[in-house]
Amino acid sequence: MVDPYDRSDRFELIAACEGGTLARFANDVLADDPPLSVRQEPRPQLVMQQVREPVERRPFNLGEVLVTPAEVELDGARGFAMLPGKRERAALSGAIVDAAVAGDHEATPDIVAALEAVADSERDQRRRAWAESKHTAVDFQTMEGEE
Amino acid sequence: MGYVAVTAGEELIERAADLFESQRIGDSEDVDVDQIRDQFGRLTAQAMGEGGLYAPRLAALAVKQAQGDAVEAAFLLRAYRSTLERFDESVTVEPSEMIASRRVSPAFKDVPGGQILGATKDYTQRLLDFDLVDGDPTDPTEDWDVEDAGEPERLTNVTELLREEGLLHEPTAPDVEEPNDTTRESVTHPPERDEVLQELARGETGAVTALGYSALRGYGQVHPTLAEVRVGDLPVRIEHPYTGDDVTVAHTRVTESEAVVPVYEKREDPQFAFGYGLTFGRNERKAIGMTILDASIQLDGEAEPAEDAEFVLDTVDGMDAFGFIEHLKLPHYVTFQSILDRIRAIRERQGLREDGRVDDEQPAEPAVAGASDDD
Repeated sequence: MVDPYDRSDRFELIAACEGGTLARFANDVLADDPPLSVRQEPRPQLVMQQVREPVERRPFNLGEVLVTPAEVELDGARGFAMLPGKRERAALSGAIVDAAVAGDHEATPDIVAALEAVADSERDQRRRAWAESKHTAVDFQTMEGEE
Repeated sequence: MGYVAVTAGEELIERAADLFESQRIGDSEDVDVDQIRDQFGRLTAQAMGEGGLYAPRLAALAVKQAQGDAVEAAFLLRAYRSTLERFDESVTVEPSEMIASRRVSPAFKDVPGGQILGATKDYTQRLLDFDLVDGDPTDPTEDWDVEDAGEPERLTNVTELLREEGLLHEPTAPDVEEPNDTTRESVTHPPERDEVLQELARGETGAVTALGYSALRGYGQVHPTLAEVRVGDLPVRIEHPYTGDDVTVAHTRVTESEAVVPVYEKREDPQFAFGYGLTFGRNERKAIGMTILDASIQLDGEAEPAEDAEFVLDTVDGMDAFGFIEHLKLPHYVTFQSILDRIRAIRERQGLREDGRVDDEQPAEPAVAGASDDD
């Protein structure tokens, strides 16, 4: 069970959240003009994906993945987010949302509810995709002796 | 070979580029980048794999800009990535963590976890579907009554089954903490296996397929049985800067292939050797080709192209090949003038006339020792 109050779980949920949702919450949080400093500007960067090959068990570099990280300090609370792809606005919004929950901003219950909905949606999509794949599971029958 | 700068006028170059853009636009409606990402997934996958950059939406943009030229699109992605900083390496993931949407094992009929065909037309006829001309937005799975199958299962790796039975050759575990990154350090020969896998993973699809095929066609010793082919999503994990936990930032769609190669004729203990392929996106042809090349390179032969690591790695990179082949169409006036002058001088020395006949007054020396008019 993922917990949006947990920093690591929250990171994953923010990464999976729609940019529009993050921007909406960020705007709500910034509406009262709280002190905000951007510690890391949202800029696309690369994460090299390393995979362990299964026989020799040797790690190798599969290729780079485009991500956009951002970090802020909001009213004394730090926030960090990383979104897949080139998504500067969503990453900055995500960092503000992360900091807001860390600092127990009044929008926290709404943010947590939205992130829980993301978790539910992710789980449903995952299960649906798996169910569809399993729907194509096949038992191949050998045809020995048949002409 | 010498090069020289030429000048032709910036305006004319811009005009040619404008004409290129005009041909892309044509008279039809503009294609949305999201449409390309969603409906041309194989093409964007190829661009991402060969570009070595996982970025589906930008790959779609690159495909649009390149007018469907996958290698050009990969080039655009590589050029873009070269402008970016590296945040970090990911936490190393095991391929068994993949959430598979498709998995077939040509080696074992009753593979644990089952054969999952997934989304494929492998078992249908390759016939043009004229219904697509007018578009058919109906989703054929819309009426599926799909039972909840729970959370995705981790499928047992087929090579694990062979390993459990002692049938898999166990290479000495390499003492490798950090693999060499070939995007930062050039490959030196003989290459480490992690370098081979990285280079093949971003190799050009056609080249990987062709060289892999060469081994099957008799220019090599590897004719593998595929243990399995998988398509699925692999997590991309980083260490969270605050908590230190491994956290998932994204999933990459990948294609994986494993092959077993019987080596019982060559070793005292009859076992299987193996080959491995993994690449970004849905690209089964390339993953299988990579698998054959990985297995071939491990044989370290010199007589067969696919077994020669230096030959394979020097030719599979699409950017290298693209650059070298296509640069030939750029101006080579000085080079060619020099060649012309040399050939004219030789002909003059040999007394050859413009029509190729030997001048009667000057008996000619043969251009090549032993050459005759019949050559």
